[in-house]
Amino acid sequence: MAGHGVLRILVVLPMYGGSLPVGRFCLSALRELGHVAEAFEAPEFYGAFSALKDLRVTADRLEYLENSFLQVVSQAICAKVETFEPDLVLALAQAPLSRQALKRLRRDGVKTAMWFVEDFRLFTYWEAFAPYYDAFAVIQKEPFPERLAAVGQENVLYLPMAADPAVHRPLDLSAVERRTFGAGVSFMGAGYPNRRLAFAQLLDFDLGIFGSDWDGDPALSDRVRLGGRRVTTEESVKIFNAAAVNLNLHSSINPRELVPTGDFVNPRTFELALCGAFQLVSDRTLLSELFAEDELARFSTMAELREKLAYYLNRPEERAALAKRARTRALAEHTYALRMEHLLEFVAERFPGWPVGRAGAEAALAVLPEPLRGETAALLGELSLPADVGFADLIAAVRLRQGRLTPLETSLLFLDEWKRQYGG
Amino acid sequence: MARFLVLQLARLGDLLQTRRLLAGLFAQIEAGGGGGEVHLAVDASLAALAGRLYPHVRVHALPAHAGPGRDPAAVALAARQACGELAAMPFDKVFCLNFSPLGMAISALYPPEVQRGYRQFSGQPDKDRLLRLVFRLTRERRAAGLNLADIWAHLDDVPLPPAQVNPPAAPRGGGLGVALAGRMARRSLPPEILAPIVRTAFRASGGARLTLLGTAAQASEARALVKQLDSATASACQDLTGQTGLGELCEVVASLDRLLTPDTGAMHLAAFFGVPVTAFFLSSAWCHETGPYGIGHEVWQSVVPCAPCLESVPCDKGHVCRLPFADPALLRLLGGSAKAEPPAGLALFRTDCDGLGAVCRLERGEDPSEAGRRAFRAFAARHLAGQDAALVDGTPEAALAERFFLETDWTLPPPGRDATGEE
Repeated sequence: MAGHGVLRILVVLPMYGGSLPVGRFCLSALRELGHVAEAFEAPEFYGAFSALKDLRVTADRLEYLENSFLQVVSQAICAKVETFEPDLVLALAQAPLSRQALKRLRRDGVKTAMWFVEDFRLFTYWEAFAPYYDAFAVIQKEPFPERLAAVGQENVLYLPMAADPAVHRPLDLSAVERRTFGAGVSFMGAGYPNRRLAFAQLLDFDLGIFGSDWDGDPALSDRVRLGGRRVTTEESVKIFNAAAVNLNLHSSINPRELVPTGDFVNPRTFELALCGAFQLVSDRTLLSELFAEDELARFSTMAELREKLAYYLNRPEERAALAKRARTRALAEHTYALRMEHLLEFVAERFPGWPVGRAGAEAALAVLPEPLRGETAALLGELSLPADVGFADLIAAVRLRQGRLTPLETSLLFLDEWKRQYGG
Repeated sequence: MARFLVLQLARLGDLLQTRRLLAGLFAQIEAGGGGGEVHLAVDASLAALAGRLYPHVRVHALPAHAGPGRDPAAVALAARQACGELAAMPFDKVFCLNFSPLGMAISALYPPEVQRGYRQFSGQPDKDRLLRLVFRLTRERRAAGLNLADIWAHLDDVPLPPAQVNPPAAPRGGGLGVALAGRMARRSLPPEILAPIVRTAFRASGGARLTLLGTAAQASEARALVKQLDSATASACQDLTGQTGLGELCEVVASLDRLLTPDTGAMHLAAFFGVPVTAFFLSSAWCHETGPYGIGHEVWQSVVPCAPCLESVPCDKGHVCRLPFADPALLRLLGGSAKAEPPAGLALFRTDCDGLGAVCRLERGEDPSEAGRRAFRAFAARHLAGQDAALVDGTPEAALAERFFLETDWTLPPPGRDATGEE
């Protein structure tokens, strides 16, 4: 929370895809840092888009309806901003924020940031919306920032992927879990063309493949585990923990490129490291500044992959030593909490005067009578809020609580409404 | 084993323009090393030709066009049989290339995740993002310019390099050919304008053989042309209109030194065989969309302010786009004069390939839309080919991105993908 106190942050989740769990990790991290963070649950709206697809209308009409409904979703985000009054709107790649809504937020003085956790070379739509965000965090270095500058986005922050130590952690697995999720050489992820071809060359190893999109490949079918279904985050952590060697082959849609050359480092690298699980990762140009050679074993060719698999499978001590060092490094440098801190510092640095202090902000505990302070202090701890949090921020956090409220929470809301009505 | 299906239910020219996609799929199978098959569904009238043009493809005949012997009962039976065959095979990808309910109906045989292009699932027609973009481009045809063959090829993830699609243009020894009007008569030159062009090109070619090509419907047009020719040219002329089936047409076209043609199936056939094309594009024809594919062909493109127009809208400008083709300056140029300048409203383009696909490069004349088109291609190349082109001056392309991309492009999963994408 260095320097800017408790912030209110609205995290706009995407409706689908790999950036959705990242958004949820950001939300947890921001709360862990003591900020009042709320999510705009865009996935809840996805059902409506699916319903449009079931209308059986012409393709042109479908496109029109999708665009119109998206504008409604964007307006919902703006309405949420009006009520929640965030200091920052953080959107993840694919977030349903229209350019019109971003213009309105800018006009209203609400700072917006995008964490673009995509490959800019494949996902080229960034050109259409990047200038409308106040800050733009990316997982790639040059030439991406230069390209962003060319379209008018100067506030670019390199913010590599990360992992969540509360989720990605070493586990003591039962014998049944080891059988269900374990393999000598394990891979968890989707069946991209390069992976299919690469893994077909590893059938002489005890290879287990977890994840979806692996069907239609007879050579690999008996290696695909759990029926080739999509695995949950919790299951993936068990898979990571249960493997002797976790293969981490970055994806490519190009089947000619079995071990793709690329720059950004995928989330799995950080997740495996935080799990304390040993991994063999395909090398990336940005990997060496994130992990040292003695923290992560890496490969650049299929021959090197086979050679290192054979080497490490017979050396459990070396695997354990590397995995331990990787976990230490990840805990120190690659958590979502650290990334969020970095992002907030960046926004503060680029926009002097941010966040604009709320008029009449007063510490919650100072507002309350002595008999309630002890109980409220405990609530602040429960909400991960600092002792000097403002009353308004405490109320915002209480409003985010799910389910039935406690008598204390209810009385705080009551007090807030009373103060609004009577100006106390 | 990989197995792909391409649904191409349109006409001859479209079948020929499908080559880049088909060849790319074969290249993918070869790279995969596990073997595979490419299937192609076409109208029954083109099935034999498809087999000849693409000998490694498995062709399926569908009753997609109307014609003799095509009554509803016969169509129903033929469609039932073809659908039975197609449904029995699991395909990794199914490409429906035509914005036609017929092709989309066939797509409905397959799950949404394998469908590409125009698609249909659970009764809802839809199209890939690329095709949504292409539809938006029709508002600004002059400033855009993507070859149809490249649009289809980019429905796949790894298209074949464009220079590998058709052989480079080189004379084949069989003299000069002239293709008469295609299906869209307004896109063709009338005999009184075409005759001097043919005469000049024939003389410039050395004057050995001249062959007229077309269907029986164009026989009268061919006769009218011959009447307008001088006697020396007319006497060298062999009129084959209405006398060649598609197989013979292939043989004749493949043997030519050059083909003079409007935007026709014969033009695409010549490009397919690497026979040099001199094409005349006017009215709704726009060489940046449907020009001859490959390296070294030439297109005389009308660039009058109203070009390209909409074929479906009657011309209220007296077909002004034809007039520059009647200008003697064009004849001087066709005759080999290096000094002559093209008449106003006409520009000469030479075909080439870039990282994105086929491109028509200005050779003579003026083309006011060239700068806009160049910016568009840079934008499209990054979007489609993931090209690492430097965005030195980002403004024009960023403006294009803003104009042509809609929020649904990036906030919704691509058609055929569910919401639970996994990395």
